[in-house]
Amino acid sequence: MSTPSSPSDAAGATGAAGGNGETTLTNLATVREGAPGSATGAALGGLLTASASPPSSAATPVTDIDDAIRAQRVGIGVSALREDGVAKAMGVYPYAADLWAEGLLWGALARSPFAHARMVSIDTRPALAMPGVYAVLTADDLPPGPDGLPNGAPTGPYVADRPILAAEVVRHHGEPFAAVAADHPDTARLAAASILVEWEPLAALTDPDQAFHAPPLHPDGNLFRQLPLRFGDPEVVGEVVVEGMYQVGRQDPAPIGAEAGLAVPRPDGGVELHVATTDPHGDRDRIALCLGIEPDRVRLVVSGIPGATADRDDLGFQATLALLAARTGHPVKMVLTREESFLSHPHRHPALLRYRHHADAEGRLVKVEAQILLDGGAYADVSSEVLASAAALAAGPYVVPHVFVDAWAVRTNNPPSGRMRGEGALQSCFAYESQLDRLAAALDLSPLEIRRRNIMATGDLLPTGQAVTCPAPVRELLDAVADEPLPPLPVDRPDAEWLLPEGPAGAGDPAAVRRGIGYAIGMVPMLGIEGEDEVATASVRVTGSQASVICAAVDPGSGFATLAKQIVQEILGVEDVYIAPVDTDQPAAGPSARGRQTWVAGGAIERAALMVRQQLLQPLAARFAMSPELLSIKDGRITSYDGVLGVPVVEALEGKDLWATAQCRPHPTEPLDPETGQGDAFVGLGFCAMRAVVDVDIDLGTVRVVEVTAAQDVGRALNPRQIEARIEAGVTQGLGLALMEDLAVGEGRVLAPSLVGYRLPTALDAPDIRVAAMIEDRDVVAPFGAKAVGAAPAVVAPAAIAAAVRAATGMPITRLPIQPEDASV
Amino acid sequence: MLPASLDEAVRAMAESPGAVPVAGGTDLMGAVNAGLLRPMALLGLGRVTELRGWQYQDGAALLGAGLTHSRMARPDFAALIPALAEAAATVGPPQVRNVGTLGGNIVSAHPSGDTLPVLAALEATVTLVGADGAREVAVSHLLTGLDPLRSGELLAFVRVPLLHAPQVFLKSGGRTGPARAVASVSLVLDPARRAVRCAVGAVAPVPLRPLEAEQWVAGCIDWDGERTVDPGVAQAFGEYVASACVPDTGSESPVPTTARLRRTVSVLARRALGRALK
Repeated sequence: MSTPSSPSDAAGATGAAGGNGETTLTNLATVREGAPGSATGAALGGLLTASASPPSSAATPVTDIDDAIRAQRVGIGVSALREDGVAKAMGVYPYAADLWAEGLLWGALARSPFAHARMVSIDTRPALAMPGVYAVLTADDLPPGPDGLPNGAPTGPYVADRPILAAEVVRHHGEPFAAVAADHPDTARLAAASILVEWEPLAALTDPDQAFHAPPLHPDGNLFRQLPLRFGDPEVVGEVVVEGMYQVGRQDPAPIGAEAGLAVPRPDGGVELHVATTDPHGDRDRIALCLGIEPDRVRLVVSGIPGATADRDDLGFQATLALLAARTGHPVKMVLTREESFLSHPHRHPALLRYRHHADAEGRLVKVEAQILLDGGAYADVSSEVLASAAALAAGPYVVPHVFVDAWAVRTNNPPSGRMRGEGALQSCFAYESQLDRLAAALDLSPLEIRRRNIMATGDLLPTGQAVTCPAPVRELLDAVADEPLPPLPVDRPDAEWLLPEGPAGAGDPAAVRRGIGYAIGMVPMLGIEGEDEVATASVRVTGSQASVICAAVDPGSGFATLAKQIVQEILGVEDVYIAPVDTDQPAAGPSARGRQTWVAGGAIERAALMVRQQLLQPLAARFAMSPELLSIKDGRITSYDGVLGVPVVEALEGKDLWATAQCRPHPTEPLDPETGQGDAFVGLGFCAMRAVVDVDIDLGTVRVVEVTAAQDVGRALNPRQIEARIEAGVTQGLGLALMEDLAVGEGRVLAPSLVGYRLPTALDAPDIRVAAMIEDRDVVAPFGAKAVGAAPAVVAPAAIAAAVRAATGMPITRLPIQPEDASV
Repeated sequence: MLPASLDEAVRAMAESPGAVPVAGGTDLMGAVNAGLLRPMALLGLGRVTELRGWQYQDGAALLGAGLTHSRMARPDFAALIPALAEAAATVGPPQVRNVGTLGGNIVSAHPSGDTLPVLAALEATVTLVGADGAREVAVSHLLTGLDPLRSGELLAFVRVPLLHAPQVFLKSGGRTGPARAVASVSLVLDPARRAVRCAVGAVAPVPLRPLEAEQWVAGCIDWDGERTVDPGVAQAFGEYVASACVPDTGSESPVPTTARLRRTVSVLARRALGRALK
């Protein structure tokens, strides 16, 4: 990715004209203590100063970036750099696993070796007898259930069904049933392993198809949700009918850093948790409930997050950590191993999708029938929400007059499923795009043509009866990727080295390589759906020349903190903006998931900043004898509409301390009807189109993705470079699901919970990723008209890559990840 | 313990038989860190410089066990033993290649160890040095446990015959980036003996030699002329090798299935022969 250095890189930036900002922007790239995410420093003292290098040395290697920034402006539409980017690149950024406190103990969890088993008896005495062990906790130490018996203090985002520590029955491999605190991590692990449990293994339910008739695995039953969707006339039949069955594997978020955290007991009997959470307030409330204390006595401080694509830590980890600290009276630190991380955190829902598309002879879609079955794993988590997204978007960004979907999310003894970038939308996208390719083949149309004939635009109806009121420039997106030049063929560049499938010096044979080109379009919902109360609160304060933002929206690497800074710069004309570290003493801003922070928290920051702006302009307006609306802030100056009167922002702020707090609550949505699946369930939708070019070694079935070209509906590009980075991240994650990422499970047991057994894309696997267009069609109801950008690329990339492999091999490609036997001819 | 010479290292091993020698540590330290292995002591071989190079001896190359993969992948080594260089170049990412060693690859004896099929095809031998002196053991005997490493012994050198003829190593990992081999094939020509030697890695706990297929294809080659074979022969050779090395049933994990694995081995063997006779 090139470093933007010309004004053209900031295209679309409204405030990008003129330029006297060169001299004031020099401090942007320095590593600042207390940067977003590094909340650890303040509470624990010394850590940051010890690990972060002084700004002078940090600034040395980035001089050219520094220069690049100097040539730019600040505010919306500019490709500002991440505040913590340099620290992360240099390896001095403190993550949750780097936390330390004086006299800390180490926690460890004892986990189930079975996918489904009854605990006949549990004996913790061997662990307690080990020297150095301070506490051993089981479900007996948690608040009892309504019947007075220990039930493991179940919790969950919607349905409280997942115990913190399993009581009586374990329902998935790796489910924790006891927690240990000891003075050394090895002692803690050994103690956890020494707990004696008499197991009675039970039959594991691993096939979601069997869940309907199998005996219930949980008192709540095996069906999380059933959602029928009835739209149009069921009797209609098309002239051409294509059918397919599709399968999506179990993708793991595989964050760069495994779960880690530190709990410090408070004198009032509460506990302070330093964890890498993405939903601090929600987690605080749920932890307090599990511990049986008031939420105000639990404080969560968000520490450096080593990667999160939606939810990160599972609550069992955080709550047991808090409980260990409260019981022992010592700070307790727990760092999960990679193996534990694979076992415990939520994965993408594996799915089985059966589709039947009806079309007329011209290729116009008449009816879509679908059956969707999601494997939710052992506990409910967000399965019901994921199911709604999958069912409501089952027909894709196409105009279909008749849609009939039956969707189920079921309980099994497989690893837990949950939220993961584009949840629900992704599974459907692979299926409906595969169906469109099938239909194109049946009608002898090109894949582009069949899509153009059915493509959705603003105003069309979703199968839920909701009209798409937001901009839906899907046709423009598809045209943008289709118009891009194709990457050169190796024959055109005989001198350049051709990277074959199987890699450099691998077994690839040019004679067996076929190139394929595939297209896919897809859509994702933005914000919470089905009546979820979306709200965020933010405060903006300006003193002297510095503005600070206090907003509990976590930036897990998505770039929200950078956007927050740009928003304040844009509105107040103040260049020095400090984003306060996040903790639960601040008002809630909700979870960083479903692409909601730019909209909801960004909207709250915008409003707060506008209120401060009003306070700032009012006295000036009085002095100039004009209304505040006639004043504008640009390039660090406040000027009147006619340009005659003006004063620098810094001067106007002198001696002032301005504060404002505001909330943003987007328009409400409604739940889908349980009988017909009808309802206005979505706040907004984001769209993306992609073209993938692949090389397939048709003898070995090995696929190499040569290039992915993306065009995305961004509403408004608040930070173009950051959007490009999000598209690259999404495409790479999507490529992982398409070609290699699948957490292998046998009889409910995770077979290879390691980064050797679970293959992630490497730099050699990642294709060239080009952004053909960021279509800026502002969504009038969203703050700044900006749409969420993170999930859509991850949703569309697997479908595009599968389409390209299909084109190269002529094989149907009905499952993800694509196996070598599917891609060899 | 950090001995500076091979003698010192052997003495140290004799004195503390519980010690585990560590060279690159890419396999060993991973196991130690994961708590799977708790050695009494570690014997660091990093300073034993005599193990890190190679020399010539009676028409063979005597390779130090401490040769790193990245060293073996360099062009000067590739001119000497091309297949070993190719195998070394495909081992893991550069970080692993920079520290991982030839000796470590043999001693770890991982089924998908990349240098193992090459050494098997080359019929290499290793020199094991113990307190009672050195002895020479065929790599295949060491790997199959026919003649295992004894207590207190160090793997010091690997003797590889220099064949001065095309050699190929091909590996399929199923992706473009570095990967563990699903299957690998090494094929070397031995014009002096008019023989083709082939070994298949990763499909069994040790590299397998399809001896009948080797003999058959050696008979099809016109050794005095162009040294080429008919594409049909290459195809048949691939299938011959695959059916010899991948049994009909008994594959432990269902993925990749037997049929799939056979196909991969057959394609690799066919391509290997094609490249060797090019």
